[in-house]
Amino acid sequence: MIFWEIAKRNIRLHLLRSTLAMLGIVIGVVAIASMGILGNSMVLAVSDSLRTVGDSVIVTPHVGGNPHGFGGGIAGSSSLTITEQNYLQIKRVSAPNVAIPVLQTSDRMKLGVGQDDIVAAIYGLNPDDVPDLLKLETGDYSRGNSGCLVGSKFAEDNNVKVGSRISVGTEGDKGTLRVTGIIEERGMAFDISTDSAIVVTKEWFDSAYNRTDYDKVVVKVKNLDDLPTVKTAIEKQMNKRDTIVDVMDTRKTMETIFAAFGQITTFVTAIGGISMIVAGVSILNIMMMSVTERIKEIGIMRSIGAQKKEVMWMFLYEALILGIAGSLIGGVLSLVGGYAISSMMLQTTKYLFVPSSLVNIVYGVTFGIVVCLICGIYPAWRAANLNPIDALRHE
Amino acid sequence: MDDRPVMMFRDVVKVYPLPAGDVTALDHVSFEVERGEFISVMGPSGSGKSTLLNLMGCLDTPTSGDIYISGTRTGDMSDRDLTSLRRDRIGFIFQVFNLFPLLNTLENVTFPMMLKSKQVIDPEKGRSVLRAVQLDDELFTHTPMELSGGQQQRVAIARALINDPDILLCDEPTGNLDSKTGAGIMELMAELNHNGTTIIMVTHDPNNAKYSKRTIRIADGRIVT
Repeated sequence: MIFWEIAKRNIRLHLLRSTLAMLGIVIGVVAIASMGILGNSMVLAVSDSLRTVGDSVIVTPHVGGNPHGFGGGIAGSSSLTITEQNYLQIKRVSAPNVAIPVLQTSDRMKLGVGQDDIVAAIYGLNPDDVPDLLKLETGDYSRGNSGCLVGSKFAEDNNVKVGSRISVGTEGDKGTLRVTGIIEERGMAFDISTDSAIVVTKEWFDSAYNRTDYDKVVVKVKNLDDLPTVKTAIEKQMNKRDTIVDVMDTRKTMETIFAAFGQITTFVTAIGGISMIVAGVSILNIMMMSVTERIKEIGIMRSIGAQKKEVMWMFLYEALILGIAGSLIGGVLSLVGGYAISSMMLQTTKYLFVPSSLVNIVYGVTFGIVVCLICGIYPAWRAANLNPIDALRHE
Repeated sequence: MDDRPVMMFRDVVKVYPLPAGDVTALDHVSFEVERGEFISVMGPSGSGKSTLLNLMGCLDTPTSGDIYISGTRTGDMSDRDLTSLRRDRIGFIFQVFNLFPLLNTLENVTFPMMLKSKQVIDPEKGRSVLRAVQLDDELFTHTPMELSGGQQQRVAIARALINDPDILLCDEPTGNLDSKTGAGIMELMAELNHNGTTIIMVTHDPNNAKYSKRTIRIADGRIVT
């Protein structure tokens, strides 16, 4: 195809100018694709951290706007806790899903002779509920009253292993626990964050802290489609007259978080898009220069029988070549850019080579080519519609 | 063989509307060109030669009157059809050669063939036409910048001939050449005409006009002889 050949040769003839214009496209594609990759990687990273709690409804005592004022809490209770009676009601309306009551506090603890005290969160759970909520990295679920589980970060930070002993309370006044298992890393969680905590039996928690009411109830919903139904059922049952509990559907919350991430990604990608628009203007500029320089040539072509659309395509090919070359180079560099940004900001590149990240490169490359083509349309149209007589006279 | 005139002007008027007032460049011009003729168009500057050439080459349309190319009336044709007519029936030779700098000799010559066929063409015809205009084979891959003026004009003539046009329109074909090279080009044109090519040549040079069989003289937009 002779017009394609002419377009290629014209680019070669003005190599520096064409390279500079192409550089703009490369930068634009890298900006768009890298931002897209980063945004998607962030969403995936957060999603990974939260995925273990995406199947829960969390019931907590209502705070704020309460007719009983601060501390009014659950029916008849003066503290912000959920009573056994309330828990049973929640359990009944949530059935057949599992409702797990959670006790929570924090206390000093000593991990060995000569070691400094540390302060960590302590969760109290019924031993039967633990397997429904937590997975173990090593060891066993504690059945005995003096056994406990520890979070993976807690274990790592304090060099705790299965069999280690932990004295809880000031001078160990609450008792000593033996570590029976280490919990898998859970990351951020809406229900309980165990990574830097210890988990004890409810019985031990009751005896150590003299507490019978719960801090929250986690309902693990088997069928995710039932999440809204379970949430509504609990709200209807518990908040008949006054709002006494807050009920959170974790999936809904995650959706909100992901939507926010999505918006942030769109925003930063749009900023990348501005650089592409600037690159497009530079393509428009060099295409206009190319048309101006070749007016006489266009006149000759038209006079010896080149149709308007053939002249138009000759210039569009030029824009297309710049767009394809610039975008493909930009696509390859985006992979490098995405790798670098992911490494720096997320400390991992495992989210780079997944389809939802790589598709951003496809978007960037496509956008680059389309922008070049659009920016080539006006110069090409102008060239095609030059009056052949005027064009032939042009010096 | 088609015995209709290859070109016929009937009462053609061309008026350019200008802010200072209309300018009549051609005023009721009529003439016919028979197949195989070699015609010179002569006249002083501003006489209407360029306007006549543009109309003959279907690059412009008349204000009134009719133009026929090989019996086809051009007045009602679309831009697309006029372009196809130029490509298939008319060969252009310009004063300044007007070759495409990005294409080599052979590509320049076969360019109109590619426009016509829209497909990959056999370059052999291009080579044979280049040989017919007495260009050495070794120059076929040279770019226009690497050719002398005379060689460039021979390439331009080969390009004009490649689609076997009915008419060769020449605008001062030796205007940019020295007298010896110019004479060589005129000899070539005479030979082409001798072999049946119809040639219409706009020129200032009476020496060139001697090669033609008929001269149309134009003054103030009218044909005087």
